Amino acid sequence: MTDEIIRVLYLDDEEPNLFSFKAAFRREFEVHTCDEPHKAVRLLDEHEFHVVLSDQRMPRISGVEFFELIMPDHPDISRILVTGYADTDAVVDAINKGQVYRFVSKPWNEEELRGVIRAGYELNRSRVRNAAQGTEVLATLQALGAEVNRLSEVLNSGGADAADEVVSGLETMKMKIEKEHTRYARFFGYSSP
Amino acid sequence: MQCHPPYGRGLMLHRVLFLFLLPLLAGCGETGVVPVDALRLEAFEDAASVVRPEQVHLQLAQLEPLESDHPNLGSSSSTWWVRVSGWQGAPRNARIVLDNPTLDHIDAFFLDGPRVLGNVTSGAALGLEKDLIPTFEIPINEGHELWFRVRSSKPVLLPFSLIRVDKVELLRSRRDLAVALYTGMVLAILIYNLFLAFSTGQRAYFSYIFVVLTVGLVQWGFNGYDRLIWGDVPWLALNGLTLTGAFSGLAALIFARHFLEVRRYTPKWNRLIQVLLAVYGAALLAAILGRPMVAYNLVNLGALSAPAMLVLSIISWRRGNPSAPWYFVAWLIFLIAVTMQALRDFGVMPSTQMTAAFMPIGTVLEMLLLSFALGNRINQLKRSSDEANAKALAASLENERIVKEQNAELEARVRRRTEALAEANRDLSSTLDRLKGAQDQLIQTEKLASLGQMTAGIAHELNNPINYVQSNATSLSRDLEELIEIIEAHSSALAALAEGAPGAGDMVDRARERARQLDLGFLMDESRQLIKGILEGADRTARIVRGLRIFGRMDGDDLVEASLQDLLEASITVLGNRARSKARIEVEFDDEPPLLWCQSGKLSQVFMNIVVNAVQATESRWPEIEDRLVQVQLKTISSGEGEPTALEVRVRDNGTGMDDVTRQRIFDPFYTTKDVGKGTGLGLSIVKGILDDHGAEVTVESALEVGTCFILTFPLRVEGAEASKVA
Repeated sequence: MTDEIIRVLYLDDEEPNLFSFKAAFRREFEVHTCDEPHKAVRLLDEHEFHVVLSDQRMPRISGVEFFELIMPDHPDISRILVTGYADTDAVVDAINKGQVYRFVSKPWNEEELRGVIRAGYELNRSRVRNAAQGTEVLATLQALGAEVNRLSEVLNSGGADAADEVVSGLETMKMKIEKEHTRYARFFGYSSP
Repeated sequence: MQCHPPYGRGLMLHRVLFLFLLPLLAGCGETGVVPVDALRLEAFEDAASVVRPEQVHLQLAQLEPLESDHPNLGSSSSTWWVRVSGWQGAPRNARIVLDNPTLDHIDAFFLDGPRVLGNVTSGAALGLEKDLIPTFEIPINEGHELWFRVRSSKPVLLPFSLIRVDKVELLRSRRDLAVALYTGMVLAILIYNLFLAFSTGQRAYFSYIFVVLTVGLVQWGFNGYDRLIWGDVPWLALNGLTLTGAFSGLAALIFARHFLEVRRYTPKWNRLIQVLLAVYGAALLAAILGRPMVAYNLVNLGALSAPAMLVLSIISWRRGNPSAPWYFVAWLIFLIAVTMQALRDFGVMPSTQMTAAFMPIGTVLEMLLLSFALGNRINQLKRSSDEANAKALAASLENERIVKEQNAELEARVRRRTEALAEANRDLSSTLDRLKGAQDQLIQTEKLASLGQMTAGIAHELNNPINYVQSNATSLSRDLEELIEIIEAHSSALAALAEGAPGAGDMVDRARERARQLDLGFLMDESRQLIKGILEGADRTARIVRGLRIFGRMDGDDLVEASLQDLLEASITVLGNRARSKARIEVEFDDEPPLLWCQSGKLSQVFMNIVVNAVQATESRWPEIEDRLVQVQLKTISSGEGEPTALEVRVRDNGTGMDDVTRQRIFDPFYTTKDVGKGTGLGLSIVKGILDDHGAEVTVESALEVGTCFILTFPLRVEGAEASKVA
């Protein structure tokens, strides 16, 4: 993937957990910890995080609720729920409401958790890339749409060189579309026609 | 009775005899009486009672012949002189008999002109000294005259006769026999009715006895026999007849009043009866005051009551008095007898033995009839009483029958109801069994639910410290490796320096560089922090485990001496985030409260349940956790002497609170305000059961939108008492 450092945010109401987490993962990741949900929200707004972990049982707000809260603004962040004890309700809520990526129980296995965080990072990256490409495709489509409009106007003006201009414009558009197609075919994994 | 014939007197003696001893009478039709036609009577009245026997011959001019040998000279205070002649030629054994024992004074004089040849005295006033039948010898010299001087307060009736002396004796004995017979009958009636009077207790019987007694005495008096009773008392000898007459009148009136039930049937007549009673009372008074004539006349006046009573009985009869006809007949007979007597006395009827018997026969018949009437009346009373009794008996039998029927019906209904009840009871029993099963199941469910809560809490609580202990250990070992690496680098460099080996300086630089790279300061700091975390985690784990030990006997019924403070803390700890992450929980405990003998596991269940409820109540009310407050207090309650008597646990929340209806029902089984499936509704009822087992009182104060406070008071007791209580 990339050499970009993985930024992780861990939210837990118990400070010893935060410290343990930081101690365990500070060498691989850029670890931020926080014991208050609202502070976590602020951190998320200020920095770009790839993965966010949250304890489920917290005084004011549950982990699932916290995820629900940040989802609209940070849909791409990979959400990992950490809990000391998972009852069925919490699991169901985590999946349906919090759209949790992974579920980790305490005490955590450091290696496993590390893998989960990395995987979360990959997922985040993928989501971000998809989003970017989607944006690009959209921009291309918009450009093409604008070109079509321009050509239509040329045709309507009915000038002597109108036909030539339209033809050359269509050629350009065809080239552009083929180029985009090739790019996406590669990206989506199917061969160009 | 009272009304002796106005002039009636004596002389009825024989008649009685004849009356009642018919065989005897039949046998002695001839009494040895010399034909009395021979006797001639002449009399003159000496109104002033001044004529002396010597002066009689001077009064011959006044002499008037008496037509009858039973002359009736009436009643007056005069003295009568009677010359009896016609005895001349009579046998020597003949006697003059003046058969009227009621006459007070009788003197017979043998006179020869002014010479008094001899005299014989007789009369009631002499009492018992003389015979009851005054008898006088006839003069020997037929030329002499025989005079009688008679004085009496009673009517002067002079039945003279001439009888042979032996016949006189016969007459006397017959008279005695007749009176004895009469007396016997009267006594028989008297005693018989006296017995009846006492056995029936009827007033009429007593007055009747009075009547019989007085009538009997009057009849005695007529025959002179009364002097047998009071002959020694001159005053009574003179007045006895009058007195008995007056008493007889009183008795008759009183009896009539009772027997005819005057007050009931003829109330107006009561006044007349009272007047007549007064007349007889006055007669008695007069007799006592020494006015015999007045007394006698008053008695005669009272005799008016005879017809009056007859009329009264008719009226009473008409008014439906069933006793009245008897009385009427009895009274009529009596009146007839009296009238006959009167007629006889006045000479209207012949003075025969037959007519003489009318009076005693009348009185006896009257007595008997009245006795029968009384008996009849009593029988009637008894009959009506019997009828009433029979009616009452019938009514009571009917009642009994109805009651029996009702009883039978009731019994049947009771039986049916009993059967239905037994059936219902059986149903209830089986329902109860099923419910008990369900309850056991529910209690088990509740137990499992709280176990589940506990398990979740414990898991969460334990996993956190375990997590950082474990994680820290891993991190620490890594840090340690790096620290060791740095130390070794430094140690090698130092050794090289010491040996003065070449490149020692480089080694020092590399070691320093490594230390810088690894951030030695941070590593050291971190290691300390990690170790601190491990220690903390270990401590916390230990604490939880300690709490768990208290919970170890969750199901146990064993009594242990436990600290409520520990139990409360353990409960809150075990509840962990379930409580603490949802509300602020403030704890306030007295220093070192005394230990309590209790079932610690069960009490922990109680505390957990109440605390969770409190937390949930605040959750329902406040959106922000800062606003939710649960306060747990433990206080020692002491007596006046400072001796601790109880422990008080208060769990107060500022939650939604409850209305009174909810508050009163919270301990009811299956009562729940939670959504279906969220609670069994048994939590607090189990809590109540456990608290009851501990003899603890629980008070709940609550107000809507204010909060709720559970106050649990645990009495401190000696071990034995507590053990026996809970066991």
